[in-house]
Amino acid sequence: MSPELKRQLRTPLLTMLALLALLGTNVLLGIFFISGHMWIAEVFIATTMVASVIIFGMEAHKEPPIVRLFSGLGFFWVAILFTLTMVDYATR
Amino acid sequence: MASAIGIKVEEHFHSEEQQRETAKLGMWVFLLTELLLFSGMFVCALVIRVMHPDSVTAVALHLKFWIGATNTAVLIVSSFFMSCAIELSRLGRQRPMVMCMLVTAGLGMLFMLLKAYEYYRDYAEHMTPFLPGRRYELVGDPASRLFTDLYFIITGLHAIHLTIGIGIMLLMSWLASRQGFLQRHQNRIEITGLYWHFIDLIWIVVFPTLYLLNR
Repeated sequence: MSPELKRQLRTPLLTMLALLALLGTNVLLGIFFISGHMWIAEVFIATTMVASVIIFGMEAHKEPPIVRLFSGLGFFWVAILFTLTMVDYATR
Repeated sequence: MASAIGIKVEEHFHSEEQQRETAKLGMWVFLLTELLLFSGMFVCALVIRVMHPDSVTAVALHLKFWIGATNTAVLIVSSFFMSCAIELSRLGRQRPMVMCMLVTAGLGMLFMLLKAYEYYRDYAEHMTPFLPGRRYELVGDPASRLFTDLYFIITGLHAIHLTIGIGIMLLMSWLASRQGFLQRHQNRIEITGLYWHFIDLIWIVVFPTLYLLNR
């Protein structure tokens, strides 16, 4: 394997290992901490995993500004959808 | 031996870079419409969880947690091989790139096999309330039907997307194995990769939403 290829595969490899570690953490939380407010940690971990895929897997940070804008807008709309809906139901 | 890479510039583009950026932007816009499609269902699942927590827990106990977790790991590894294919395409390494794409498609098929087994188990355990004439295991809990049906809709829609992804991956592997592909269409590998990563991303949300939260 050439040094150039090794250097270029470093980020995908580290991303995969981080994602598997985060998945493992979430699985352990799901097995051993079933009740209570552990869902907050589980949602936080899942959000971190999603952000890792977008930033490192889909390489959003390397994209031109217009693509970054669109990717950000999409998740902004999703955030509005989730926030408004869940605030309504959670506060009834 | 590495060969040159590039894009055949179509007449309505000024430059290779403009064509590359336009293709990526188009794919991102498509993926955002897909994201909004799935998001509506995720919100429904969370609302059902808030409104009927006991019914959801009863269903969640029937879901195959370990198959869901294994499938998440399978897709994460498949995304790694897709990233490898993209990096190899940038270096003009055609043969190993095609191998990585085939491994990616193979892992996608493994996911589908596990999913099919999970559906079979759901059927055997009478957790299919949408099938007329078949007894539903949690018949005394009407609210649980909502979550069970939503489970099949979300995972079924994801499976359709993954099946399309596997088809595209196999087609691209075949096209990419031809002589001179990377000199003319290198960016198609990156566009295919975006779609594959998105399928992975959706499942990363599906797993906690359906299988994990407040089991």
